[in-house]
Amino acid sequence: MNRRSLFTNFTDNKAPAEPQPRSNKVELFTNALLRTHENRPVRFYDDLIKGRQVLINLMYATCEGICPTVILNLVKVHQALKERMGRNLFMYSITLKPEVDDAAALKSYAEMHNALLPGWTFLTGDPYDIETIRFKLFRMDHIKFDTDVTAHTGMLRIINDATNRWTEVTPLASTHTVLQHISWADPPKTLQERIEANKALQKKIDQEVKIFGYRRTI
Amino acid sequence: MPRKQAKEKKFSEMSRRDVLKMGAAAAGAATILGPTVLTSRKSSVFAQSGVTEPVLCAATPVPPSPATTPFLDHLPIPFPAIPQFLNPAPTMNANIAGGEAARAPHQRWAQFTPAITYQMEAKAATHQFHSQLLPSYVWGFNGRYPAPTVLNAYGLPAIVRFKNSLPATTTSFGTPEITIHLHNGHTASESDGFAQDFFSTGLFKDNHYANAYAGIDDFGGIGDPREAMHTFWFHDHRAAETANSNYLGLNGMYLVYDEKDPGHEFNTPGSLRLPNYYGITDIPLILSEKRFCPAANGRNEMFQVIGAASPSTDKWIVNGKIQPKFEVRRRKYRFRILNTGPVKTFNLSLIKPDGSQGTITVVAVDANFLEHPFDLSNRTLDIFVAMRFDVIIDFAAFPVGTKLYLKENAAQNVGVPSPDPMPTGLAIENVLMRFDVVGNTIIPDTPPIPTDLIEMPDPLVPDASFEWRFTLESGQFRINGLPFDPNRVDHAVLKGSTEEWTLRNDVLAGNWLHPVHIHFEEGRIQSRTVRPDPVNQPGLTVPVTLLPEELGRRDVYPLPGQHTVVLRQRFRDFVGRYLIHCHNMNHEDNFMMMRWDIVESLAQLRDRKREIAHRREEAGLPSLYKKEEIG
Repeated sequence: MNRRSLFTNFTDNKAPAEPQPRSNKVELFTNALLRTHENRPVRFYDDLIKGRQVLINLMYATCEGICPTVILNLVKVHQALKERMGRNLFMYSITLKPEVDDAAALKSYAEMHNALLPGWTFLTGDPYDIETIRFKLFRMDHIKFDTDVTAHTGMLRIINDATNRWTEVTPLASTHTVLQHISWADPPKTLQERIEANKALQKKIDQEVKIFGYRRTI
Repeated sequence: MPRKQAKEKKFSEMSRRDVLKMGAAAAGAATILGPTVLTSRKSSVFAQSGVTEPVLCAATPVPPSPATTPFLDHLPIPFPAIPQFLNPAPTMNANIAGGEAARAPHQRWAQFTPAITYQMEAKAATHQFHSQLLPSYVWGFNGRYPAPTVLNAYGLPAIVRFKNSLPATTTSFGTPEITIHLHNGHTASESDGFAQDFFSTGLFKDNHYANAYAGIDDFGGIGDPREAMHTFWFHDHRAAETANSNYLGLNGMYLVYDEKDPGHEFNTPGSLRLPNYYGITDIPLILSEKRFCPAANGRNEMFQVIGAASPSTDKWIVNGKIQPKFEVRRRKYRFRILNTGPVKTFNLSLIKPDGSQGTITVVAVDANFLEHPFDLSNRTLDIFVAMRFDVIIDFAAFPVGTKLYLKENAAQNVGVPSPDPMPTGLAIENVLMRFDVVGNTIIPDTPPIPTDLIEMPDPLVPDASFEWRFTLESGQFRINGLPFDPNRVDHAVLKGSTEEWTLRNDVLAGNWLHPVHIHFEEGRIQSRTVRPDPVNQPGLTVPVTLLPEELGRRDVYPLPGQHTVVLRQRFRDFVGRYLIHCHNMNHEDNFMMMRWDIVESLAQLRDRKREIAHRREEAGLPSLYKKEEIG
């Protein structure tokens, strides 16, 4: 670096580059060999995530408590997005108990909950790999929380690998809210599209203010 | 050619002389005024665009942040924000055609016509966190981290135009959609940065800050001066992404002056005469935590905070620098300490050269002056995320040449030994920053700190009560059994009323501490209790003596495991949607947040409460209201 650039070249003066892919993607997600509910072997990153918008949740076939509500809600979400499912949006439910949930068990679980739907894959695999994926995608940096295998069943991870957006939502929220969160990871809209959406939103707000005295919903 | 060479030489000599001159001028200013208001030349990039998007590191195992020599950098002081005319001019209704984000019309617009306007443009930039580190990719207001400080006065309503010029697509871990909350302004809902009211790149939003005291309806004019707050901060509040965007740098300070705290030290009526020259004797200390990647592509990027690859942080940042030094003169200084998190709690103490603890005088907590200041010399100042402490340190007692240290209990990664011998018992890893006493004061010292600072507002008599339970169920943070849903109302209050709220932390696993933040008005803690043995005697509660900092008005309530805090708060002057949430930004992003609405009429209140009960019933949860409340 010459002397002059020492004082001026605080950043690269190059033209803005195209966003580069996140480095070391495989590292981030793992490329573990998993098995689908149709007993098909798949690579976690290469076959399931690469370049896609995906919804990932954790479950296991014998899970009670919130799990039945979660899958019920996810079916509703799938219905609402069925046009996109399997095309530019994919859903993955990964079992937390791979020792028990083999492909057949997952398939019958999906059948039972009317979740054998296009674009929705149930996954099992080596317990070590599943644990690694759980840790990589759902870790919350708290020892009690992170070592509890059954934790995280109430979270839906939303990732758009192409645009590098990560977000999450609880499937226990209303379908409206879950869809809204999924849309946060949608491929970016053009400025014109965003301006149009903003106009439409303002109309809705104006109506609400008229009726309720303040903005009530989104 | 010899001639050309000569010319070049002359040019370089000239510029060197100029540089020397500039340096001398700067040094001169420093000798006269003490520390000058400055930001490091290298601290931000003025380029409007062309900041290369980061290539993030996802290395495993995660290496520690690079080594940095302590006390190499001076403490930067965020520059005061410069008021500017806005084009298009601010309007009551959202200026959709002009590019404003959709919102409800400004409340009380005619009453508080903006007298002063600012623009804060969120954009990508780079910032050097230490002179031995390469620049890091950040998001800063007006391209700076920390953002310029807004200096305002009560009675002068302001518009701050938050403009989103962030890259529409980014390889960073941020989401380029923002909604800015002024913590803890008495702000109308449409300007309060509700978590879901975010807007995307290319749009702007005018936040209307009345700069009035709470109690406008009761007291008329600009409200009840006893409700004065002085040390605010603004930050991004986007649902599920708050930690990321704050970690990237979207926050800054906002100070509001009045007669008690006028922004100068002259003897004017009503003035408390505390150290009060911004950037000279009244210094913001904006704390945060970071972790840096190894040098690559001309940068030391921050580690990502999304997903699993987020390692624990290992560098503590003050006003954008790692372990800075601050030159002080022998007089009183005021420090407005703010913890911007996103997660870490700071436990600070002042360490004298002999290793003993020095005295810090606390005058204000969460922007509110205490009735009486208190000295803190035998415990740490515990600053949870989003809390503010205004403290005074008197350096007059120390001879010129003394070095004092601000100690943080948790060690950071330094990587090189201290340049100076440290006080006994103090490791360099535990030093947040250093104060160097460089000379006698030139600006006369302020008089002794008054023993009575303010008169508290009248005691609050509640019209209703409500309980918020902070729990962890099925591996998920919840309040009152539910995770955050911005489209669902979780509680409704009547405009103008007072309520008694109970905050209960029932998490058995982990004993997680939640710094609970309530928007809109300041609350007053009535009591704090703890369950000493929740497993065997779940019904047993023991009162906890309130700390002196809990006796004032508050907007952040630290809630350790098994604690219950009872507080009272009023809801005056505005209507709309507001939030209560855990201000550990990771928790808040994981939905430990609830929405409550202020409504205008009793009929609306009954409607809302009925709706809330119905939604809870749908979720299989009991109603939290009595039958007569919902009719």
